[in-house]
Amino acid sequence: MRSTAPRSTLRKIIKKHKPQLRLAANADLLVHLNFLLFLHRLAEEARTNAFENKSKIIKPEHTISAAKVILKKSRG
Amino acid sequence: MADRRSRSRLRRSGHHNARAAAAQTELSVENRRKSLRSTLAKQRLAVFPDLRNGTPRLMLKRVVQNQPQVSPLAPQISSHEDTQEVHSEVPSKRVSSMGELQLPDVAPEGKSITVFHTTKKRRKLSISEFERAAERRLPQNQAPSTLDSTITARSFRMSVGSLLAPDTVEKRGLLRRPKTRKAVDLQVFEGKVEQNMLNSKGQNYLVDSQSISGIRTSILTSDAEMMMNTTELFVQPQLDEQNQNKFSALEPQQSDSKTTAQRSLISDGDQEEERLEGLVSDVRTNEGRTQRDSKSSSLHDEHVDRMTHISPETRAKQQEEKQDQSPQSNPMAQISFSEEEVAGTPEHGPSAGYSEHLEKKLAEKAELQITTAQDSRGETEMASSAAEELAEGSVGAHGSPGAEHKITNGIGAEGLDRNSHAFSSFDKRGMILLDETDEQGDELQDQAIMLDLNSSVEEPAQDEAEQPASGEASMKTPLFVRAPAKNLLLSMPHVEKVAAPRSPQQLLQPKTVPKRLGPPQRKPREPQIPGSLIKEIFRHFAKMPVTKEAFKIVEKCSERYFKQLSSDLEAYTHHAGRKTVEAADLEVLMRRQGLVTDKMPLNVLIERYLPLEYRKLLIPIACD
Repeated sequence: MRSTAPRSTLRKIIKKHKPQLRLAANADLLVHLNFLLFLHRLAEEARTNAFENKSKIIKPEHTISAAKVILKKSRG
Repeated sequence: MADRRSRSRLRRSGHHNARAAAAQTELSVENRRKSLRSTLAKQRLAVFPDLRNGTPRLMLKRVVQNQPQVSPLAPQISSHEDTQEVHSEVPSKRVSSMGELQLPDVAPEGKSITVFHTTKKRRKLSISEFERAAERRLPQNQAPSTLDSTITARSFRMSVGSLLAPDTVEKRGLLRRPKTRKAVDLQVFEGKVEQNMLNSKGQNYLVDSQSISGIRTSILTSDAEMMMNTTELFVQPQLDEQNQNKFSALEPQQSDSKTTAQRSLISDGDQEEERLEGLVSDVRTNEGRTQRDSKSSSLHDEHVDRMTHISPETRAKQQEEKQDQSPQSNPMAQISFSEEEVAGTPEHGPSAGYSEHLEKKLAEKAELQITTAQDSRGETEMASSAAEELAEGSVGAHGSPGAEHKITNGIGAEGLDRNSHAFSSFDKRGMILLDETDEQGDELQDQAIMLDLNSSVEEPAQDEAEQPASGEASMKTPLFVRAPAKNLLLSMPHVEKVAAPRSPQQLLQPKTVPKRLGPPQRKPREPQIPGSLIKEIFRHFAKMPVTKEAFKIVEKCSERYFKQLSSDLEAYTHHAGRKTVEAADLEVLMRRQGLVTDKMPLNVLIERYLPLEYRKLLIPIACD
C-alpha cells in the first residue's frame, strides 16, 4: 500500500464541500482511516457479490449493489 | 472375530477419543458373549453408535452437513456429497461380495471393515451408510430422504439464491446503468431538422447548426439537409436527392467563409476535420462565418492540436459514412461532420474543414459551383493571408493522392473568396502541386481544368447542368463543396450579401477569442483523491481483479462518501459547539458507522490500518 496518505488533498476536498469547516491537526489522518475502512467494506461487499454470482472478477453490477449498501451504512 | 473387529475398530479409530474407544471395546466384549444374532445386532449397534455418536468426527460432519451453509463453498458441498455417494457405492459392492461368502453376522462386519479400510473415504462412506441404514431401519423414509433433500435443497437453495441475487444485482445494475441512447432515425431526424430549418429560414444558421452539431452521428445527413433547407428560400428545390440538396446547400454556405482558403492550408491529417469545419462554417450564418474566418485565420495555428484531435473522430465518422453511403452522400456526411466539428470547436476554423472538403468533394463537386464560387470569391473578405494559408495547405496536401482535389478546391475557393492576386498565387502553387500529383493534377492547372474535374465528378449530370445555370449564385460556394449545389448556388448571392456586413465583426472577433482561450485552457483543478490510490487500496482489499467500469463506480462512490462525510462531520462539530473538526468527532462518526465498537477501539483500528508515522502522530507513545 502507499506509504503516505493524501493529506492535503483530503483537506481540500472537505474544504470544497464545507468551506466554513476547519480540520484539526491530525484529524485528516483519521479521515483517511475512515476512508480506508470504507473502501475495505466496499471491497468486501463487492467481493461477496461477485462470489455469489460465481464470478472471478468484480463487475460493475457487484460494485453498484455493494455501494448502495455500504453508503447507507456509512451515513452515521 | 469380534476381537478382531473390535481391535480393527480400535486401531482404525485411533482418532477417536479414549471414551469412544473404550465404549467400542466394551461393546465388542459384549458382542463376543452373545449369540450371532445378538452380536449382529450389537455389532450393528456398535457400528451405528460409532457412526452416530462414537466418532466425534462423524458427529461433527453430520452437524456440519445439517447446518445451513452460506458460503462460497456451497458448490463444494454438493460435490462433496456426490463423492460420498460414489465412495459409498464402491464399498457396498465389496460388502455384498463378502457377504455372500460369509455369515450374515459378518456382513455388517464386512461393511464396517470396508468402511474402515478406506480411511480417507471412511467418513463419507459411513455417513452414507448411516443414511442407508437409517433408511432401512426407519419405517419412514422421510428422515434420510429429508436429510438428503435438506442437504440438496439447501445447496439448491443456495444456488438458486445466488442466482436470484445476481439477477437482482444485475437488475439493479441494469436499472442504474445509463440508458443507451437509441439510434436516431436519420430520416425522421432529418425531416424534423428540415422543418426546423424551414421555420427558421433566413435566420441564424449558426444557431441551427450549433444545435444540430450537438448530436453527432445523426446529424450527418441532417446537416446537409439543413443546409439544403436553408437554401430553399433562395433556390428552387430541384434536386430530389437529399445529397444533392445538401451539397447545394453546403456549397453556398461554404463559399461564404474563408474556409476554402483554409481548407487547402490544412495538412492531410487535418483535411477531414477541416473540411467538416469548413462545411459547418458554410452552413452557419455570416456571423458564424466571420467568427470562423477570424478564428481560422488567427487561430488555426493554435488549434492544430484540437483539430488533429477532432480529425481522427471526424475521419472515423467520415470513413464510416463513406462506407455506408454513396459517394454523393459522403460529402454530405462530411459536411455534416464538419458542421459538427465546427460547432464543437469553433476555433479550428473552416480551414481544416475546407481542406477536407477539397479532398473529398473534389470528385463530386460540380464544376459550375467551383467556377461560380471562384467568381464570387472576389467579393468575400478573404484576406491575403487566407490565400497564403491555402497555398500552404495545398503544399502540404500535395503529398496525398487527394491533394489535387484539394488544390482544385482550394484554388477555386481562393479564386472565389479572395482577391485575384491571392488566387493567382495560389493557383500557381496549386499548379505546382498538381504537377506532382496524379494525372488529375494536370487538370487543375487551369480553371477550365477544374471544370473538367467537374465533369469527372461522379455526380449526376443533373447537378452539373443545374450548376452552370446557377453559377452566379454559387459565387461563394467554396470549392470544397463539391456536391451539386444548385440550391446552394442560388442561395449564394444571398449569403454573400449577408456576409458583407459581417466583415467588421470578423475583425473584432479574432481579438477577443484568443483572450478567452487563455483562462479556459487551464481549468481550475478540482481536488480529487488520485484514482491510482483508490485503485490500489480497493484492489488490495478486494483481492480480486476489478474491471475498469467497476472501478469507476468505486470512484464515484468515494466522491459521494466524502460528501456525506463532510456533512456528518459538520453536524457533529456543530453539535459540540465547535468550528473545528477534532479527533473526537471522527471517533463519534466511526462509532456511528459501526467501525468502532466496544470490542474494537479506535486505537486498534489505527494500529491496524495506518502506517507507522501516522500511528505515532495519532497515538501518543510515551518515549523516555
